[in-house]
Amino acid sequence: MTGPPFELRDAEIQPDARAKLTGEAVFTDDRFMPGVLWASVATSPVAYGRIESIDTSAAAAMPGVVMVATAAEIGRRRHGRRLADQPVLCWDRVLFIGDRTAVVVAETRAEAEAAAARIAVDITEEEPLLDLERVTAENAPILHPEAQSYRYSGGRRPEVPHPNVQGHATVGLGPDDIEAVFASAAHVFEEEYRTPATHAGYIEPRVCLAWNENGITRVATTNKGPFRLHQQLADTLDVDSDRLEVVSGHIGGDFGGKGQTIDEYLCVLLARSIGRPVKMAMTWAAELAQGPVRHSSLVRLRTGVTEDGRFIAHSATVLYGGGAYASAKPVPDLTLPGATSAMIAYHIPAVRIDARTLYTNSVPGGHVRAPGQSQVQFAGESHVDSIARRLGIDPYEIRTRNALGPGMRSASGLHIREPRAVEVLNAVRTVDRHPPADDGLVRGHGVALAARHVGGGEFPLRAVLSPDATFELVTGLPDQGAGAWMVMQRVFAAELSVDPERVSVRYVPTGETRPDRGIGSSRSTHLGSRAAQLLAGEVKSWLDARLAEGLELRADVFVRRDGTDSIPFAALVTADLVPDPVEFEVLYREEESEDEDHDFVALAVDVAVDERTGVVTVEQATLAVDVGAVINPTAHRGQLEGGFMFGLGEALMTQLRVRDGAVVEADRQLFRIPALADVVRLTIIELPTEVGPGAYGAKSVGELANPVVAPAIANALADATGVRVPRLPLDPESVFEALTARDGEVGARGQSGG
Amino acid sequence: MFGEHGIMSEVAPRGTSHSIELVLNGAQIRADVPADLLLIQLLRDHVGLTGTKNGCGVGVCGSCSVLVDGRLVSACLVPAVQLNGRNVMTIEGAIRVHPAAETVVAAFAASGGVQCGFCSPGQVMAALDFLDRYSTPDRATVLGEFDANLCRCTGYYSIIESVLEAAGRLADAP
Repeated sequence: MTGPPFELRDAEIQPDARAKLTGEAVFTDDRFMPGVLWASVATSPVAYGRIESIDTSAAAAMPGVVMVATAAEIGRRRHGRRLADQPVLCWDRVLFIGDRTAVVVAETRAEAEAAAARIAVDITEEEPLLDLERVTAENAPILHPEAQSYRYSGGRRPEVPHPNVQGHATVGLGPDDIEAVFASAAHVFEEEYRTPATHAGYIEPRVCLAWNENGITRVATTNKGPFRLHQQLADTLDVDSDRLEVVSGHIGGDFGGKGQTIDEYLCVLLARSIGRPVKMAMTWAAELAQGPVRHSSLVRLRTGVTEDGRFIAHSATVLYGGGAYASAKPVPDLTLPGATSAMIAYHIPAVRIDARTLYTNSVPGGHVRAPGQSQVQFAGESHVDSIARRLGIDPYEIRTRNALGPGMRSASGLHIREPRAVEVLNAVRTVDRHPPADDGLVRGHGVALAARHVGGGEFPLRAVLSPDATFELVTGLPDQGAGAWMVMQRVFAAELSVDPERVSVRYVPTGETRPDRGIGSSRSTHLGSRAAQLLAGEVKSWLDARLAEGLELRADVFVRRDGTDSIPFAALVTADLVPDPVEFEVLYREEESEDEDHDFVALAVDVAVDERTGVVTVEQATLAVDVGAVINPTAHRGQLEGGFMFGLGEALMTQLRVRDGAVVEADRQLFRIPALADVVRLTIIELPTEVGPGAYGAKSVGELANPVVAPAIANALADATGVRVPRLPLDPESVFEALTARDGEVGARGQSGG
Repeated sequence: MFGEHGIMSEVAPRGTSHSIELVLNGAQIRADVPADLLLIQLLRDHVGLTGTKNGCGVGVCGSCSVLVDGRLVSACLVPAVQLNGRNVMTIEGAIRVHPAAETVVAAFAASGGVQCGFCSPGQVMAALDFLDRYSTPDRATVLGEFDANLCRCTGYYSIIESVLEAAGRLADAP
């Protein structure tokens, strides 16, 4: 064993921090090119309708316009991460407000946008399908009658129960006759919860720039999965994969949303056809109206409980509003990764879950931080709390009684390695409550419990050792700020026992390295750290074979085992040993395992509610997390804090209301995400383990904190007021309305009683 | 660097353009700008100062924060023509000439006040403006008054720490 030159628990400074802070770091929108043209799209103002004709003549006559194109010119093409169902430009029908009908290329962005506004599309409107409960009704229009012909990557598309169902996931545990189990329960509780569409709210809008170079079309993009985009571009545009290259790099926020980008198809096509660079950028309004957005949800839960509060039977029907296209969903079954996780932290012997993503005439749904899970976690953890209150059992106690323990199977259907539900619960349970005040507000305490998977798969990584004793790690994985590059850098340095400053990370486009799946699904820390470990092992073997026997690396110094000699790393690794740069490459593959790796998390909040206004204020929050080994302490804390505030936004303010198919917030710039003034006092309790699948037992962290925030606050609101608000956000309007309804009921009862 | 970009006539091909003179990052420049050209477009598209980031485009996010005559301004809201006779400082200029800029940058880096980095130059500009007004701020002042810039990554905790850390370092500086 060689000793590390630094401790992983020492706070790190992001190597790119200065470049980012001083504006030197180049983001996609910062790329300019001589002769660049701008493209802008015309979009449907109608939620559902048949295209009768598209008149581009007025647009073509506008100043600066170089080209106007419709599907008649670019071809009938569809794109999608798994199922290619979204037209690059629509030809026969439009399926949501924001669907693209034509594109204009002009000398400037303003000219392109002005001309795009002059595209005239004659659409015969039809009654849109917007109600999740009507999607599979007998008279519902079939939004994708030709779905059988859509390209599906990676095998055969799983069967769906109805053509308006995008994807379908089920879980079945326990006896065939679950109704018999429900019948044996002392109580059966049935509830319904709803969550709205939201947007990831990254600060950098999606941008792309395509240009031709040596027979290759390169596209710089804000997409976080460049290799996947590369393949989708080749498939959608019928371009030889060797003729394309995708360039990502620094991405200005992601939170799941930047796995799907939609301008690149047009941008590449237009750059190839015109022979000049073409740039496209989405406005914030376009981001919100065209998505992808977090799926709205309607969740029905039914739980059979014994007299002492044990869950014996549970069924869940989960409907997600998938919008007009399933194109943003990468998961093979076209549902969402968290779809069956409403009661993931519990053991229930009999379970039936039916989760569906549904086609509607609304903005397409995609991945946003803990996709699918944050919706059902709000429902599940509200439900558990509601059961506890109705049975008069302490909310912590009911969770502890039903918590997933070792050897048990989760109600989500999974076997989870070393579940730590009780540990995280106990950690927040013992924290002092916020003191009351005599200020006219009512106060309450709420808790929520969850588990979040650690992603896996395979991951390539390359290192180059230079004669000046420095290493460069070469990766095609973009940087969206969560710290994946630092994970690789620090683990590689720690494993080799060299100074991390010796190790830099270089991002390369898709043409220059082996494919990876990009950032996402809470897998980067796991995969990046293990690949770095493996790679460091290769380098160690190489050095061992070339250095005098008995030398070992310790803290950037080669030391003789008998302690008699020490030589700085840079003094031995010189041009004599390394005359030319040496390359090392590994492909890390996750080991197959019966058990799934998850992090457990509990959040306790104290809220104050102003019953006159419906304003809910979180006075303090305590987050306990089962973290595994921490590799980047600063970034790790940042993910938890950022995740908490992300969840706070979705709990209290963030929403996209869709009215008649139109996103209200897109028109009015009303979309709200938390500002600094919304920050609340947060204490984080870390419960480390060494059982994670990453290096040293590292786990994931990025999607851990946000799903528990809304249910914890809803539960505290119920504790404070007796009112359960079964929908998000818990904004003053909703809370006030619920309080008014409560007071109305009390008043009515009072009257009839008197 | 402004010598090569300083003449703006070629970027005002249509409509009425106005001749303006301003001090940009310490250098006197003259530009012919159309009436609808925004400061952010002048800076990014024509002068090549891309540290001023194009975020929401509607004055909400603060990613395009610059100092105009020492006051914090969203460059996406200001027509360039209004800058005649003004002094504009962007992140690129601040890092060269503002006495507090390097300290603020170092404090943000050390406190983890930067993740994806897209809002970061705007946060630095906002911090320079804030620390100019409050040289020894406490946490409550930061929470109450440092509220012009959105960040989606950090949840703001490390940004609050960064601003306080910067204030401390500036106070300790000789």
